[in-house]
Order: sequence, then structure tokens, then C-alpha cells
Amino acid sequence: MSSRGSLMFLLHAHLPYVNHPRDSGFLEENWFFEAVVETYVPIISALERLAAEGIRPGVALSISPTLGAMLENEALEDKLQLYVDSRLELIEKELERAAGDPALLRSVKFYQKLYQEAAEVLHKYSGDLITPLKSLQHAGQIEIITTSATHAVLPLLTRPEAVRAQLAVAAEDYEDRFNRKPSGFWLPECAYEPRLNSYLKLSGFNYTFTESHAMEFAAPQAPNGVYSPYRTTNGVGLFARDAASSREVWSSKFGYPGDPAYREFYRDLGYDGDYEYVRPYLGSDGVRRPLGLKYHRITGPGNDLSAKEYYDPEAAMARVEAHASDFLARRMKQTDDFYAARGTRPLIVSCYDAELFGHWWFEGPAFLETVIRKIRAERLPLQFVTPSEYLNSCQEPAELTPGISSWGESGYFDPWVNESNDFIYSAVYAATDKMIETANRFRNQDLNSLAARALNQAARETLLAQSSDWAFLLYIGSHSDYAKGRLEDHSANAVRLLSEVIEKRVDEAALAELEQKNSVFPRLDFKVFASISKF
Amino acid sequence: MPELSRPLPAEDRLVLLPKNPGSFFVFWLFSAGRAEAFASGAFAGELELRLACVDDGAQASVLKAGWQAGRAYLPVPAQGKTYQASLYALRGDAWEKLLESNQAAAPAAAGMAEERAYASMEFHKKVLS
Repeated sequence: MSSRGSLMFLLHAHLPYVNHPRDSGFLEENWFFEAVVETYVPIISALERLAAEGIRPGVALSISPTLGAMLENEALEDKLQLYVDSRLELIEKELERAAGDPALLRSVKFYQKLYQEAAEVLHKYSGDLITPLKSLQHAGQIEIITTSATHAVLPLLTRPEAVRAQLAVAAEDYEDRFNRKPSGFWLPECAYEPRLNSYLKLSGFNYTFTESHAMEFAAPQAPNGVYSPYRTTNGVGLFARDAASSREVWSSKFGYPGDPAYREFYRDLGYDGDYEYVRPYLGSDGVRRPLGLKYHRITGPGNDLSAKEYYDPEAAMARVEAHASDFLARRMKQTDDFYAARGTRPLIVSCYDAELFGHWWFEGPAFLETVIRKIRAERLPLQFVTPSEYLNSCQEPAELTPGISSWGESGYFDPWVNESNDFIYSAVYAATDKMIETANRFRNQDLNSLAARALNQAARETLLAQSSDWAFLLYIGSHSDYAKGRLEDHSANAVRLLSEVIEKRVDEAALAELEQKNSVFPRLDFKVFASISKF
Repeated sequence: MPELSRPLPAEDRLVLLPKNPGSFFVFWLFSAGRAEAFASGAFAGELELRLACVDDGAQASVLKAGWQAGRAYLPVPAQGKTYQASLYALRGDAWEKLLESNQAAAPAAAGMAEERAYASMEFHKKVLS
């Protein structure tokens, strides 16, 4: 059956770079472990299952360079293995505890399967989850794109050299990791401004994504709204996020994840369990925190966690089936309506944070897999396409310049610039400006290896200071001290290293420690921050 | 308001960042010499942040601030235009321009209704909390 429209799923996977090689139980490293078990492994497994059955997923994944570095970091892989082993040990105890409670036992067994699957996948790939992603892309099953080096919100970097460095380092990192040049670029936080067009083009990217209201305020007006790709005046392809498909997945009023049958995120054994029983699995400080074993379902509206009922995996999967059918029915109606009005086949672009699938919306990976299966099984006139495929086959897109926008709260830059976090920018700019000035000063000089190492590490620290994550964590009031500390550490490290090079007094031992801890972008050359005339 | 825990290098800097269609964020730092001039009274303690439209050169707004405040929010005079901030200090009876910022474009107001949704963690926290 010929297609009446195309669907494009883009899952953006990103975590801030968290690597504390000298600490055995660093709490913020749990972000990574939880995302691997609940999101990355389930998504990879779903994609592999589909591919093995001859059902091409055709989705796009954006893997941030910092997440890619963590997925390939052997020390983190070892810690991840310990994390999974410790949860499996706890689950064994839980099986005994739940023996007389069939409803609880059902949930515990479900988690046993989840963690066993994680252990098996990690074992199969020797802990490196980039390997299966690379294989899926190589086989043409998915398309992988990148984002800025440390997920900086690019419109908030006013220095052209800083934007260029974020993009150039990301492109090089992608090529090293995936053995090919990147074609697509995910704008961190979907944050766009027209100034970025030239940087995207000059860094070799063929296309990017914007929020839907970027097209509402495009110049000239976007003729097909968000339902077709466009091009910037310098030839960079543009895909606009479809608000309707986002709403149906995530809206508090109309979205699927709030279904009463789905897993409740906030009720967790770490809070419910007897303290002495769960104590060995909490952090070294002994503070109660989530352990990832969540046995209850949302149950109904209201925040009374004590009123939540046990999770029933089968009932949840039945809702997944229903939600996948509903999602596809709505996309069919969308494509039919558009075709009836315009006589052309629309493209519906659905972009989400990957971590929402699995970590936050526990049933998300199953929903994704079910949607893809249903298109095939029910012979629906829809097809999943990757961005490059679509651009290669569609008519020449119209030229336009999107409006300034982001997908953050209120649609602009408020989450990253407000009274809870605006103080960070003086530190970010102190590091960035000094990095650019020093790169210009030393770009054509013969440097000894110690000075070159110090400058390269200063460039790493500067990039890490620019990450969007520190401002965001301060904004939502989560791990604020950690975020502030990281931001100040990276900025101060950069400024100090640059001063040491200028004053010819590099502390080699301190440098070596930073190189081990903040070891992203091994090929990074500080000259990427130097000014060049074409920018 | 939260602040940095460690001092920054004393350098002259004025940076203008877009926040939303209604406001810019601006922050400034002074070199040791300039800070001394304020501290010693050579400059008056109150400074002016002047916002000019780059497209037509017209001065758009003025905001007064204490020299040590270090940051402020400036209302956007007109959406969709590009602006540049300048920082002036009063020496005697004359305003002296000390710093000039980068240029920054103000977004056009589209707004995003809550039910329209966006796939970010803070949104999802709202959904499930």
C-alpha cells in the first residue's frame, strides 16, 4: 500500500558528562546507570528485535557527544556493571520478601527481567552500547545524528568562536565514534536563531530541527507549516517539530504517560523499604533516594503516593497497545486532513528526549516498538523515514529563515536565563573569552607538549562549562550544589590552565588529574577556539 | 539571589543575552582600574544601561543600576529587532561610555501554550507530579 504520509521519530539522548573516577559511589553517576537500564538498553533491544524480524525501525537517534563519551568510558562501564549486579542482588532478596504477595511478586519478577536483560546486553557488547547503535546505523536500520559538543544552548553563546568550537568538536567526535561524517545536527534544547545557519553549514551539517513556532514566525511564511522540510538560505535542511504528536504523547491533559495503569515514577523502594534493609543500596551518606524498583502504578489523579496500587505489567502493556493504536489513528487523520487540503503527502516530525522513554515514561520503549510494529502488521499507509532519506527523496524544499525559539518552557530561553541561574554566565564568559584570546595568541606558536596539553585541557574545561545542564539543574532546583560546583570548577580550571600557560608555570600533576577526570574529546585541539576570518 | 562562590578575573565585559520576546538579560564586569574608579568616587555609583536598536540606530531604553549589581533584565522595546547595550557612568557632570555589548536579536512572540507540550524533563516532571 502506498504511503499517505511519513512519520519521523527523533529521540534525543543526552546526559551531562559525569565521571568521577576516584569515587566509588558518586550519586550523579546514577543518572547514567538508570538511563542505561531503563532507556538505552530497552530502546536498543527494541530496535534490534525489529531489525531481526525484518521490520526496519527507520527512527533517528541523536547521541550527544558527552553521552557517547560516557557510553565508551571503561571505568563507567565497570561501575555500571556493579550497579546492575547490586540491583540484581536486591531483587533476589525482594523475590523472597514478596513470596507471599502475588501482586508484588509479579512486579518484582518484571524488574528481575529488566535488569537481567540489561546485564545480558552489557555482557554481549562488553559494556559498550555504542557498538549496537553503530551496527544498526551501518545496516541502514536507523540514522544517528549529533548535537553540540557539551549541549550548550547555542543562542546564548555570543562569541562566534565558541559556537564554531561547539559544532566543530561535535562533528569530529561523531566521526571518531561512528566512522562517518555526521549529516544531522540536533540543536540543544531545540534552541535556534538565524545566526546559527552559517555555523551549521560551515561545520558540514546538512540538516537540523526546530520547534514548531520557529516556523510560525519564519520569514517568509512556511507554506506547509510544520508538515514539510525547508531549507535555510545557505542550504541547511530544516525539519519542524509537530506539536500535535508531541501533545498526545506528553501533555498533562491529553498525553499517554499519565494513564492510571502506567508505572508511578515517584514511589520507590528506596523510600518505602525498611531502612536497614535498603541501607546497603543507598549512597554512602545513607540518605533515602530512588533505587529504581518502583512497584506501583499511577492509579489515578492526585499526588497521594500512599494511595497508589501495585503495578500490573500486563495491564500496562494492554494500555500501550491502545495508546499506540490511538497515536497512529491520530497521525492517519492528520495526514488525511492535510492531503485533503493540500493534495500533497505530509511529513510529521516527532521529537522527544530519549530519556523520557523508559526512565520517565517507563512504558515508552514498548510504545515506540508497538507503533512501528503496528504500521507493518496493519498495513497502514504511513511510513517511518529518517531525515536523510526524506531529504534525498523529497522535492526541493522552500527557503526560509525560522524564528528564534526553543522547546523549553514558554518557548524561548527562560529556563536557562532566570534569577536562579543567571549568575553563571559571568563565569562561562570569563572562561570562554580567555580561551579565545589565548588560542589566538598561541595558534601559530611552536609549543612544548606540556603547554599544548594544558591548552587542550583548557578547551575541554571551557566546553564543559558551557553545558546547558548546569543552568537547567539550577532552574529546577535539582542537584543545584552539584551543578554550581561543576560550572565553577570547569570555568576556574580553564582560566587557571590558560594563566599557567601564559606564565609558563604549568602544574603537570594537576593537569594530569584533570585529563583523567574530564577526559572527553581526546583529539581536541585548542586551536578550534581561535578566530577565523570566515566566521 | 545565588552568586558565584569564587571571584572571577577582573576584566571589562558587557554581555547581552536574549531571554524571551519581552526581556534581555545583561551582565557586566569591570577591570581592577575601573572598579577602583567607582570605589573611589571618580565615577558616580549609579550607572546607566542604554539599549539601542541596531537596525535604525535609535536609542530604545535606559535602565539605571548600581555599579556593583553586575546584572539586570532589560525590557525589549520591539520584538524581532536587534539591539546592543552600552554601559555609561557619570564622571562629574558628563556621562562616559565604558562598555559596549554584543548585538542580540529579540525573538518574535509566539508563545507556547501549555497543552502544546514540549519534551523536556521539566515538562515531564509536571506531567507526573
